[in-house]
Amino acid sequence: MALSLYLDHPSWLHRRHPVAKVLALGWLFVAAFLLDHPAPLGLLLVLVLAATASARALSVLHQMRWLLLPVFVFTTIIWTVFYPATADGPVDRWVAFRYGLGMALRLETFLATGFVFLATTTIEEFAFALSRLGVPYRAGFVLTLAFRLVPVFLDAALTVRDAQRCRGLDFTTGNVATRIARYAPVIVPVFIGGLRRADQMAFALEVRGFSAGRPRTSLPRPGMDGSDLLLLGVGGAITAVVVALRVAGIGRLVAQ
Amino acid sequence: MHELTRMWRNTRMVVLTAMCASFYAAVLIPFMVVPIIPGVTHFRPANALPVVCSFLFGPAAVWGAAIGNLIGDFFAGLGPGDLFGFVGNFLYALAPYRLWRACATGDPVPKTAGAWALFVVVVATGAGLCAATVGFGLQVLGFVPFAVLANVVLVNNCVTALVLAPLLLAVLYPRVRRVRLLYDDVIGPRPALSRARRALGVGLALAGALVAFGGGNLAAAGALPPSLAASPNLGLAAIVLPGLTLAAVGLVLL
Repeated sequence: MALSLYLDHPSWLHRRHPVAKVLALGWLFVAAFLLDHPAPLGLLLVLVLAATASARALSVLHQMRWLLLPVFVFTTIIWTVFYPATADGPVDRWVAFRYGLGMALRLETFLATGFVFLATTTIEEFAFALSRLGVPYRAGFVLTLAFRLVPVFLDAALTVRDAQRCRGLDFTTGNVATRIARYAPVIVPVFIGGLRRADQMAFALEVRGFSAGRPRTSLPRPGMDGSDLLLLGVGGAITAVVVALRVAGIGRLVAQ
Repeated sequence: MHELTRMWRNTRMVVLTAMCASFYAAVLIPFMVVPIIPGVTHFRPANALPVVCSFLFGPAAVWGAAIGNLIGDFFAGLGPGDLFGFVGNFLYALAPYRLWRACATGDPVPKTAGAWALFVVVVATGAGLCAATVGFGLQVLGFVPFAVLANVVLVNNCVTALVLAPLLLAVLYPRVRRVRLLYDDVIGPRPALSRARRALGVGLALAGALVAFGGGNLAAAGALPPSLAASPNLGLAAIVLPGLTLAAVGLVLL
């Protein structure tokens, strides 16, 4: 499994301001949430796929096909089975299937939108956008630091696992509880190593004035330009159309 | 609750938060290829870590669990459901250390029958709150019905935490205490709470978890008064949200 979905190549979506991308992501999530009819949801998904293709990010969706295809099948089946019954009579299975299909398309839209965002936005840009949207600097710092540490811990865990295997630890036999318990000799050394690293990192941050209590300075970044505002406008317009459809009673199958 | 905001001023707690988050994510990610409900949840042996870190690092683990779960979602699909995952994991790591320190004075390493019983209760409470939050949110968003997801999350959290967490705590707790990185050592001990306040907080937290999880399952099974049953999501919200609020108030008091 790749440790980042970011695609390092230029595209119109890569160049957009991080705040514009986060807000557009939010608009699309809201639009998909307000619909449950397969037809408008399918149209929305096609729009997201078109944006993905234009940003040359379809490879991410291909990479995540192991997730996207089972999600579609599973969600359609489960919501067809769990379609909410009414007091009026037995459940119409055709309506239930259309509802299940709508839910599957909604979930695929959420996933595809999230993947194209991750394919075109670095974690630093995401943290920057969050800070511009009011999330405290330290929370963004933790997000980026934790993201950077994941491969370090993963690498350490794999090394320790191999070392324990060499000593005869078998992860493949026994019942579920036994197998889970065998992860303790892997987790403990990685955890202790992580603690040592955390202690050193805290010292390093302190000597660089992390908690100096003075106003923080940062490199200036360009603000949003016309293209960013256009992206926001398109996202907002899609949501406005969806709200209008909803008010008109189109795009809904059942009362929630 | 003040310590959840105060800890952000302490550099060591900030770094421990990042460590908890990355450690949680690093163990979550390799198991994402073993789905239980595709796209929604998977086999998560990492779910023992928020409990272990909660007892060791307290508020840093609370934020670490929430952020770690978010980072894990970066590898399996970002979506509006992650907001509920964030809150659910926040509560999952918040309940254990708060309930334990309100009910016991010893180390959170279960050795006696009484300590084991308390350990099971605090882990189940955290797992129930997480399951109710995630189950409710993902039903409202139309991902998976509450009855399916909430029960899967509860079992997943409880099994891994009850099997793995005591083993890890038995090894890690004395070592972390020796290097003075327990949360009380880093941010300082908090003033003792009155007996009445602790009893009220624990009672509210347990009752809230029971209402949110048990009531949510009853609502999902259709055992609702007719006035609420007209809309499944509204009925579920009317049961789960007051339960979660009750539990949150209880945990704030602790």
